[in-house]
Amino acid sequence: MSTWLVIFGVAFVTFSLRASFIVFADPHRFPHAFRQALGFVSPSVLAAIVAPGLLAPAGMLALGLDNPRWIAGLVAIGFAIVFRTPFAAILSGMAALWALQWGLPLL
Amino acid sequence: MQELRTPRQEFIDGSREIAPVLVGTIPFGFVVGVAAVAAGMTPFEGIALSVLSFSGIAQLIAAQLIAVDSPVLVTIAAAAVVSLRFLMYSAALSPHLAHLDTRWRMLLSYVMTDQSFAFSVRRFSEPGDIRNRHWHFLGGALTLYFSWQAAVIFGVVAGAQVPARWSLDFAVVLCFIALLVPAVKTRADLAAAIVAAAIALAFAGLPYRLALVVASLFGIGAGMAMELAHEKGAGRR
Repeated sequence: MSTWLVIFGVAFVTFSLRASFIVFADPHRFPHAFRQALGFVSPSVLAAIVAPGLLAPAGMLALGLDNPRWIAGLVAIGFAIVFRTPFAAILSGMAALWALQWGLPLL
Repeated sequence: MQELRTPRQEFIDGSREIAPVLVGTIPFGFVVGVAAVAAGMTPFEGIALSVLSFSGIAQLIAAQLIAVDSPVLVTIAAAAVVSLRFLMYSAALSPHLAHLDTRWRMLLSYVMTDQSFAFSVRRFSEPGDIRNRHWHFLGGALTLYFSWQAAVIFGVVAGAQVPARWSLDFAVVLCFIALLVPAVKTRADLAAAIVAAAIALAFAGLPYRLALVVASLFGIGAGMAMELAHEKGAGRR
């Protein structure tokens, strides 16, 4: 039930923002500060999602070696910086996670 | 002066020009589909989310927050924040579409994405008669739309077959890393990212993933403060 509320809610906000000026309003200049703030939305939101996903995957800080996700995440960040393609991060990160969660216990 | 091209020609040009972008968006759509089922959505829900919102980042955010049982409003608010860039696109495109009727403008709004925005703005700003250029926009956007939905459906179906021990939910975090790294272009961006990450961790225990909203606001504030300090420093010289 709540999943469907999310689906319709997300559909509503994405459409409204896209249609905002095209359909509903006359475009006028954004205040400078708002424009500036928009520029920081991506790095802030994305970092706020990534950090707990790596360092607190179960809701509590897990900085030890028994949490393979932050190590795999560092590998992925490194590959993303060097290779500058989205798949570098996804492939290297998954490979690192699998190596850590399946490879290490075999050693 | 360029001659007026027919709607058909514009449509074909638009879809042809956007084709190279599919090399990136099709695999991304696949991962987004996998993410939806990894988050606990049914395949039908995952496909519905994709068809209705047609935004990879918004779909990923929704999947990520559904996975941790965030309240509905927090999830929708987070999707709205990452979609704020559409406001700018909408403002930039609206003068080029003002001559169209409401149905056309609704349709083009619905299928507008980062990529089709970029390509259509380029076409609209070329010299010559713009009367049929919304067909160029539509051609590119629909090419992206149908290939995206096909990729998501493929991912949703494939993801439903993969056992949980493969940890495919981690692919969602990795997608965000893939988006984050190129988004950090300046020192102020880096400051925003670091502050947001630190606050998100400090408040990781907060219920309802409120940490995401709080941390994002602090990150944006840190980036702006850094830029302001930089501007002042430059002004003094």
